[in-house]
Amino acid sequence: MKWIPQEVETYLSAKEYVDTALVPLYFVSTGAEMKQSAEAAEFITLLSSHLERQFTGRIVLFPPFTYLINDDSEKVLDDLKNWENTILKAEFKHIFYLTSDINWRTKEDKVSGSIIWVPSIPLEQMNDSQKLKMIDSQAKQLLALFTNKWNEKR
Amino acid sequence: MSKERVSRRQFLSYTLTGVGGFMAAGMLMPMVRFAVDPVLKADAGGDFIATPQKVADITEEPIRVDFSYKQKDAWYESEVTETAWVYRDEAGKIVALSPVCKHLGCTVNFGGDKEHPDQFFCPCHYGRYTKDGTNVPGTPPLAPLDVYPYKEKDGFLYLGKAEPRKEA
Repeated sequence: MKWIPQEVETYLSAKEYVDTALVPLYFVSTGAEMKQSAEAAEFITLLSSHLERQFTGRIVLFPPFTYLINDDSEKVLDDLKNWENTILKAEFKHIFYLTSDINWRTKEDKVSGSIIWVPSIPLEQMNDSQKLKMIDSQAKQLLALFTNKWNEKR
Repeated sequence: MSKERVSRRQFLSYTLTGVGGFMAAGMLMPMVRFAVDPVLKADAGGDFIATPQKVADITEEPIRVDFSYKQKDAWYESEVTETAWVYRDEAGKIVALSPVCKHLGCTVNFGGDKEHPDQFFCPCHYGRYTKDGTNVPGTPPLAPLDVYPYKEKDGFLYLGKAEPRKEA
C-alpha cells in the first residue's frame, strides 16, 4: 500500500493482513555528490514502488527516511531507530529498509529491521522499457528476501 | 400579404412567445445535453492498448504480458505498466487475466507455489486461483481474477480495461 489516503484507509481496515513496512532510505548531499544522490533516489523510488506493486496487500510503503550524507552517522542511526520503534509499535512485524548508501552495510545488525542494500544504477540513459526491465529484474531478486522472511515465522 | 391585419395585441403575443421560446430553449438545451451526456460519452472501456505480444505465439501455458500506457493523475502524467497472464483455453479461446489479487491487491504469479504448479499463487497471504482464474476456496481471495477484454489487430494482442467477473 502506498502512502496515500485511500490506501492507508484500506490498510486501517485490513490491518491483520498487512504486517510489513518498507522504508526507503534517501541520502541527500550537495555539491559534487548531488547528482549521485539524485540518481540513487530515483533508483530507490522506482525499485520500492515496484516492490510495493508486487506485494501491495502485505506491505506499506512508507515515505522515505531522508538524511544528510554529512550528518553524524550515530545521529542518523538514532533517528532511524526512532522510526523503527514507532513502526513496530504500530503492529508491524517486519521492517525492510531499501538503500543504495553503502554506509548502512556496517550497521545491519544495529537495527532490528532488515537493511537491503542495492547498488544504484544510473537510469538516465535508458528508455522507459529498458528501465522497466532493469527494475523488474532487480525486484525479482529481492522478492525472495521478503517471502523468506515471512516464511520464517509462518 | 393577408388581408387580416395583425393587431398590436397579437403582434406582442407572437413576439413574446417567440422570445420566450428562445429563452426556454436556451435553458433547456444544456439541461438535456447534460442528461444524455453519459449516453453520448465514448466508452472508457473501449480503449484497447497494444501489447508486444503476438497472438500466434500464445499457447496453453500462461505467459506474462507487460504493456504500458500514459495515465494522467491530476497534472502529473505518468507511464503505467500493467501485466496480464495470457493463454489459450481448451477451446483455443484467448484468456487474459489480471494479476491483481482480489484479496488485497498483490501481484499473483502462475506456478508461484511449488506445490501447485498449475495455479496462480499470491505470495502475500498464500491465496490461490485455478488456471481459469477461479479463486480456490479456503484461501483468502473471495472473488475470481479480473479478465481483460481483448482484440486482435495486425497479429498483435490488444487489451482493454480489466473487468471483474460476474460469477463467483
